[in-house]
Amino acid sequence: MARLSIQNLSKTYPNGVKALDNVSLEISNGMFGLLGPNGAGKSSLMRTLATLQEADSGSAFLNDLDILNNPTDLRKVLGYLPQEFGVYPRITAAQLLDHVAILKGVSNKKERKDLVDFLLQKVNLYDKRNKSVKGFSGGMKQRVGIAQALIGNPQLIIVDEPTAGLDPGERNRFHNLLADVGENVVVILSTHIVDDVRELCSNMAIMNHGEIVYAGTPVAVLDELKGKVWVKTITRDEVEVYKTQHHVISDKMVAGQPQIHILSDNHPGDGFNPVEPNLEDVFFTKINPAVKA
Amino acid sequence: MFFEFLKLELRSAFRSPMLYIFFFLITLMAFGAVASDNVTIGGSIGNVYRNAPYTLTNFVLILGLFAVLFAAAFFNNAALRDHNSQFNEIMFHLPIGKGGYFWGRFIGALILSTIPLLGIFAGAWLGAVIAPLAGWIDPERIGPFYFETLVNNYFIFILPNMFFAGSIIFFLAQKFKSTIISFVGALAIFVAYFVSGTLLSDIDNESIAALTDVFGIGTFDVYSRYFTPIEKNTLSPQFEGLLLQNRLIWLSVGIVISIISYFSFSFKEKLRFRKRRRKEVREEYTPITHIPAVSQNFGEGIGWKQFKSFYHANLLSITKSVVFKIVAIFGILLLFASLVGGYEYFGLQSYPVTYRVISDIASSTGLFMTIVIVFFSGELVWRDRISNIQEVINSTPHNSHVSAFAKVASLVSVAVLLQFVFIAMGVLSQLFRGYTHIELDVYLVDFFVDSLPGYIVFAAIFVFVQTLVGNPYVGYFVGILVIFAWSIVLSVLEWSSNMLAPGASPGIFYSDMSGFGPGMVGTLWFDLYWILTSVILIYFAGLFWPRSVVSGFREKLGIARANFTGKTRNAFAFLAVAWLLVAGFIFYNTQMLNDYPNQDTQEQMSIKYEETYKKYENQLLPVLTDINYFIDIFPSKRDVYVKAEARFINKGDAPIDSLFFNLDPDWNPRLTIPNSELVLDDTELDFQIYKLKNPLHPGESIDLKIETSYITKGFTNGIGNTNILSNGTFLNNMEILPSMGYSESVEISDKNDRKKFGLPIKSRMPELEANCTNKCMKNYLSNGLSDWVNVETTISTSDDQTAVAPGSLIKEWTEGDRKYFQYKVDHPSQNFYSFMSARYEVAREKHNDIDIEIYYDTKHGVNIPKMVDAVRKSLTYYEENFGPYYHKQARILEFPRYSNFAQAFPGTMPYAESFGFITNLEDETDNNVVEAVIAHEMAHQWWAHQEIPALMQGATMLTESFSEYSSLMVMKQESNGDDMKMKNFLKYDYNRYLRGRSSEAEKELPLYKVENQQYIHYGKGSVILYALQDYIGEDSVNAALESFLKEYAYAEPPYPTTLNFLDYLEPRVPDSLQYLIKDWFKEITLYDFRLKSASAKKRSDGKYDISFDIEAHKMYADTIGNETPQPLNEWVDLGFYSDSDAEKLQNWKRVNITDEQSTFTLIADSLPAKAAIDPRRMFIERVIDDNVKSIDLEE
Repeated sequence: MARLSIQNLSKTYPNGVKALDNVSLEISNGMFGLLGPNGAGKSSLMRTLATLQEADSGSAFLNDLDILNNPTDLRKVLGYLPQEFGVYPRITAAQLLDHVAILKGVSNKKERKDLVDFLLQKVNLYDKRNKSVKGFSGGMKQRVGIAQALIGNPQLIIVDEPTAGLDPGERNRFHNLLADVGENVVVILSTHIVDDVRELCSNMAIMNHGEIVYAGTPVAVLDELKGKVWVKTITRDEVEVYKTQHHVISDKMVAGQPQIHILSDNHPGDGFNPVEPNLEDVFFTKINPAVKA
Repeated sequence: MFFEFLKLELRSAFRSPMLYIFFFLITLMAFGAVASDNVTIGGSIGNVYRNAPYTLTNFVLILGLFAVLFAAAFFNNAALRDHNSQFNEIMFHLPIGKGGYFWGRFIGALILSTIPLLGIFAGAWLGAVIAPLAGWIDPERIGPFYFETLVNNYFIFILPNMFFAGSIIFFLAQKFKSTIISFVGALAIFVAYFVSGTLLSDIDNESIAALTDVFGIGTFDVYSRYFTPIEKNTLSPQFEGLLLQNRLIWLSVGIVISIISYFSFSFKEKLRFRKRRRKEVREEYTPITHIPAVSQNFGEGIGWKQFKSFYHANLLSITKSVVFKIVAIFGILLLFASLVGGYEYFGLQSYPVTYRVISDIASSTGLFMTIVIVFFSGELVWRDRISNIQEVINSTPHNSHVSAFAKVASLVSVAVLLQFVFIAMGVLSQLFRGYTHIELDVYLVDFFVDSLPGYIVFAAIFVFVQTLVGNPYVGYFVGILVIFAWSIVLSVLEWSSNMLAPGASPGIFYSDMSGFGPGMVGTLWFDLYWILTSVILIYFAGLFWPRSVVSGFREKLGIARANFTGKTRNAFAFLAVAWLLVAGFIFYNTQMLNDYPNQDTQEQMSIKYEETYKKYENQLLPVLTDINYFIDIFPSKRDVYVKAEARFINKGDAPIDSLFFNLDPDWNPRLTIPNSELVLDDTELDFQIYKLKNPLHPGESIDLKIETSYITKGFTNGIGNTNILSNGTFLNNMEILPSMGYSESVEISDKNDRKKFGLPIKSRMPELEANCTNKCMKNYLSNGLSDWVNVETTISTSDDQTAVAPGSLIKEWTEGDRKYFQYKVDHPSQNFYSFMSARYEVAREKHNDIDIEIYYDTKHGVNIPKMVDAVRKSLTYYEENFGPYYHKQARILEFPRYSNFAQAFPGTMPYAESFGFITNLEDETDNNVVEAVIAHEMAHQWWAHQEIPALMQGATMLTESFSEYSSLMVMKQESNGDDMKMKNFLKYDYNRYLRGRSSEAEKELPLYKVENQQYIHYGKGSVILYALQDYIGEDSVNAALESFLKEYAYAEPPYPTTLNFLDYLEPRVPDSLQYLIKDWFKEITLYDFRLKSASAKKRSDGKYDISFDIEAHKMYADTIGNETPQPLNEWVDLGFYSDSDAEKLQNWKRVNITDEQSTFTLIADSLPAKAAIDPRRMFIERVIDDNVKSIDLEE
C-alpha cells in the first residue's frame, strides 16, 4: 500500500508566474489522473515530484519518504516519463534501456537483459531493439520512454502526457501495461485527453492556474453534473449569441456543424436536449468556474 | 530583386551584434599588435615599422585565417536564414526570382564577411596614433600610412579569400542545411591551407606552394621574401607575378563553385534522401508474460557499473558522430601530408627516426586533438539536454560525480584512440620508407607523459565551465576566453611557472642518445599535479551538475552546498590534501630548490650590471696562458666536479692590483687566489673583486686555483640542464669556470629594448680600422682574456662511458667504477674547448700521422664512413692549399639533440645527433650536406683556430666565410667540375643571404664589415668567395689565403682584420677585375640581369650564331636597402643549355657589359634549347627567372 501525500506545495517562477499555488493532494495506490489545460501547472507538479524542480514551500511524502529533502532516495523508487522525451542519437533502444536500468541500480546483467527484453516486447519494439533510435518515429520514441519509466521496481510512476503521439492501438496497449504494473504502486498520469482518465483512473484531479480545482473520483464528479448538461446543434453565426445567453461549456464541430454543450440546472428549452455528462464537460466546467451561471 | 535581398541581408546583419563583435575583435588585435611589445604578429622587427605596409599585409593574412570563421557565420546565415526560421516554405511560394534571391544573399554575405578585417586598418591606425602618445612604443617605430595598402589588401587578399571561402561554405550550407557541416567546411579550407603549407619546406617547391596556397599567405611570403626593410616599409602588395597567378587560380575556383551552387540551388525543398529499408523480417520470439523480478543494488560497486555505462554511451555518441568522423579524417589527412612531405636542409630529408615522426604527429594533430576535446566537452555536457532526455537521466538514482567523471574519461579515451591511429600511421610511414627500428615504447611514453595530461586538464576545464554556464556556445566562448585571457595574464605578469599554465610541464624531449632527458621526473610530477587538478575540477563539476531545474546561480550554489556532505566531503578533503602535497612538493623543487629568474628580473639585473660595473670594462686583466683541468662527471646523478689550476700573465704595461670575476651560482664557484683579499662580493649580480696584496707587474704571472661543481637537485620548472645528461654530457670551458672582467655579453643587446630602458646606444662591434694595433689586441673568441693557451685535462666518468677533452690522449686508467682519461693539447690553442662524456662507439682511421676519430651513438652508424671520408678529404685539401694541421687528431663527437649545431674546438668537433647523423645521404646525386658541414668545421681548424681575427667588424668573414669557402672547394673538387651541381648547392646560400637581409633588424653591412650576421658571413660569404675563385682562379684565392695564414697562424696580437686579408688578396686580382674587391667586399652590391630575347641563326659552317639581347643593372644598397644605380663595366657569363630544363650547360663565355641595353653573339656548335645570362649564377640578383630564355631559331 503506497501513499503519496502532497501538502501546500508552491512554486513561483522568477518571471512571477505561479506554477504551483498551494497544491495539496492525497494519492494512494493505483492510477491517478491529472487533468488540466496547457500551462495549468501539471508538468511543474510532476517535475517537482520527480525531483527535477525545487519547490518554494510545502512538502511531499511518498509513504515516509520526504521527496523534497531526499531526492536521491526517491529516485530509487521512481519511474518517470517526461512530457517531452527524446533519445540519444546513435544508440539503440536496447542500449538505452540497458543504460537506464544500470542507472536505476539493476546491476545483475541477466536480470537486466530479461527486463529490457520484456519491456521491449510490451511496447512492441522488440524487433527494433538493435536499431538506432535516431530513426524512430515520434510514437516509437514515446514507447521507448514508457519502457524506461517502468524499469526498476518503481513505487511512484509519473507519466506526463504519455499517450501523445500514440495511435489508438498503441494507446490501448499502453493502458494495459500501466494497469499491469500500476496495481500496487502510485501512478500519476497527466493528460489533457479526458478519455485517458475515464478509461484508466479511479481517482483524479483537475488543475488550472497552478491550483487544484477539483480532486476526487471521476464517478463522483460526473454525478455532480448529472441532469445539468444540455446539447444543441446550431449554425456558425449563432455561436456568439448563445455564449451571451447560456453558460456554454464547450463548442465543437460535429459532422461539420457546431454543437454546443451548456450547463443549466433547468431545461433551457430552445431546442436543447439533455445529454449524459462526460469528463470533458467536467473539465471545461471546472476550468471556467468564473462564468458559472 | 537582387538589391532587395542584398539590402535585407546587410540590414539584418547591421542590426545584430555579431558584425560589431567581429570587427571589434579584429580591431583590438591589430591595435595590440601595433601598440604593444607583448603582442607580436606580422614580423615588424628592427627597422620595419609597426604599421608598415608589409606588417599590415601580414596582419591581413594571419587574421584572415580567423576571418574564415566569420565567413562561415555570415554565409551560413545567409544560406540558412529562411530555412532555420522555417520561413522557407512560405517564402519560396512567393513569386521571387531565383537569381536575385541567391546572388543578393551571396553578395550580401560576402560584403559582410570582409568588413571585420577592415578592423585591422582601424586598429593599426588607432595604435599608431595612441601608442606613441601614451609612451608605449617609440614614435620612431611608426611609419606613414598608405591608402594603397588598404585598397590593395582588400582587393588582393580580403575580398578574394572571403569569396573563395564563402563560395564553399554557401554551397555546403545550401546543400546540407546544417550549421555544423558549414563550419566543418570552414575547417576543410584550413586543412587545404596547411597541406599546401607543408610544400613550402624546400625552395625548389616554392612556386608550387605559392600557387596552391588558397589564402595567398605562402604566396605573399615568397613574393616578399627578399624585401629589404625599406621595401617592407613602403611597398604594398601588387597584382603581379605569383600573387596575380595565385589569386586568379583561386578566384576561378571560387567562381566555379558558386556557379555550381547557383545551379544546384532550388526553391523546392528537397526530400531528404533516404536509404531504402531492407525488408524487415519479423522476428519470432517467445513473449515474456510477467514482468521479470529485478533486484536493485545501490551499494558498493554500482557507481563503477554506472560509470562504465555512461562512459560507454558517451564514447559511442562521440565516435559515431559525423563531426568526429570528419575531424578525425582531417587530422589523418594533415598528418599524412606532413609525414609524406617535408625537406629540411639543402633539399635533404632525415631518416624517419621516431622522435621526428612524433614531432610530425604533434605539430600536425595537436590542434585537432584540442578541437575534438573542446567541442565534445560541450557536446557531452549538453547532450542530455539537446537530446531531450535529461529529465529521465537526472531522475535516476546515480551520483552526478559518476557522470561527470565518465564524460572526461570518454573525452580522454577519444584522444587516446585518435593518437593510436596517428601512431599507427607514423609507424607505417617509417616502414614504408624502409626504416625498421620501430620504437612503440617511445611513441607511447611520449604521448602519455607529455601530451595526455594536457588533454585531461583541458577536458576537465571545459566540462567544468560547461557545467557552470547555461548554454554550450557560451560555454565554449567562456572556456576559450578564460584560457586565452589567463595566458595573457601570465605573460603580462611574467609568471612562467608551469604550475599556472594548464597542462604545462617541464616537458620531455626524446633523444636517441639520452632518452627522454632530464625533464622526465619533473614532468611526471607535473602530470600528477594536473591530473589531481583535473579530478578536483571534475569533482566540482559533479557538485554543481544541475539535476533539477534551477533558477539562478544562487540556487545552484545552494544545491552544491547541500550536496557537500558526508562521503562527498571526505573525498574532497582527501583530494585537497593530495593536491596540496603534490603542489607543495613541486613548488619546493621548482621555486625553492631550483629557482629561476623571470625575464623581467633578468632584464633588470642586466641593466644594473651594466650600470654598476661598466666602469671596469677597460680594466687591464691578466691573460691566461696555461690551464690544467680535473673534471669528474657523474652521469647518472648528473653531477660534475671541476678543479682547475690556471696561470695568468700580465701582458700589459701597467701593474694589475685587482681581479674581477663573474660567477655562476649554479656552479658554486670557489676561488683560491694567493695573497689576495675579497673586497667586493655582489651576490645579487654575482660579481666579485679581489684585491692583490702584491700587484702583478708586467710580465709577472699568478697561479689561481678554481673549483666549481654542478649538483643536480630535484627537478626544475623547465626541462633542466641539458648539457649534463645521463648519456651525452657536453660542457664547454666558458660554462664551467667563472669568467674574468666585465662581461659585455650580459648587457641587453636589442636596439629597441635598450632604447626602452634608456640605455645608451650600443654598437654591435667596434668599427673596422686600418692598421690598428691597440684596438686589435683582443680576438673575438677570447675577448682579450687569453691568446694561445696550453691545456691539459684529467677527466673521469662512469665506467660505461668515454670522456673526451681536447688534445691527445696521454693516459687512460680505471679506478673502481670510474674511468679516467688524461688529454693534452698538442699545440697552444684558443681557450675554447669542450668536455664530453657518453656511451660512445668509436670509428678510428689514420690519415698520415693524424688520427681521425668519430665518436657516435651505436644507433647512428649509417653515415659514419661518409663522415670519415669528409674529414680525410678536408685534411687533404686544406693541408695542401692552406698549411699544416697542428693537432694529432681530428675528432667528431655526437651530442644529444637538445642543441642543433656543429662546432669546432681545437681538434675536436661536436656535432648534434639530429643534424647529420640521421640525414639520409643515400642518393649520391643529392647535396652531401654532412660533408659540407664537416668540411666547414674542419676548415675552422685553420680559420679560427690558427688564424683568429681581432674583435672588430668583419671578424667572422675571416673565420666563417673562409670556412664556407674551404668547404665549397672540397665539394667542388668532389663534383669534378660540374658547375650545375655547385649551383644547385649554392642556391641555398643565395636564399639565405637574400632572406636574411630582408629580416635584418639593425643594419646590413658589406661583407668586409660583417658584424657576426649569419646571413652575411655564411650566405653572402659563400656566394662571393665562390664567385671570386671563379673569376681570379681557385689557386689565386688559395695563395692569398695561404700567405695570409702564414703571417697570422698562432701569432701573438695584434690580431688581423679583413683589411689585412684584402692586402693579401689585392695583388692576386688582375687589374681588370679590381672592381670586384670594392663591389663584393666593400659595398652591398646587387645586380639585375635580364635576357630579353635570344635567337639562333644557322651559319654557313653548320654552326649557329646565338645572339643575346640583354638588359643589365648594378646597384649599391645602403644599410636598410635603399638602392642607387651604378655605372656598368662588368664581366658576366653568357651561355646556353642543350636541354629545355636548363640543366645541361652546353657552353659559356665571359663578356664585358658596359651598357644597360646590349647585344652579344656567341657561336654554338649545335642548336641549343635555351640561352642564359649568368648561367652558373655568380651574381647576387633578387630575380633570376628572367635570366633564361628559349632560343628562337631564325631562318
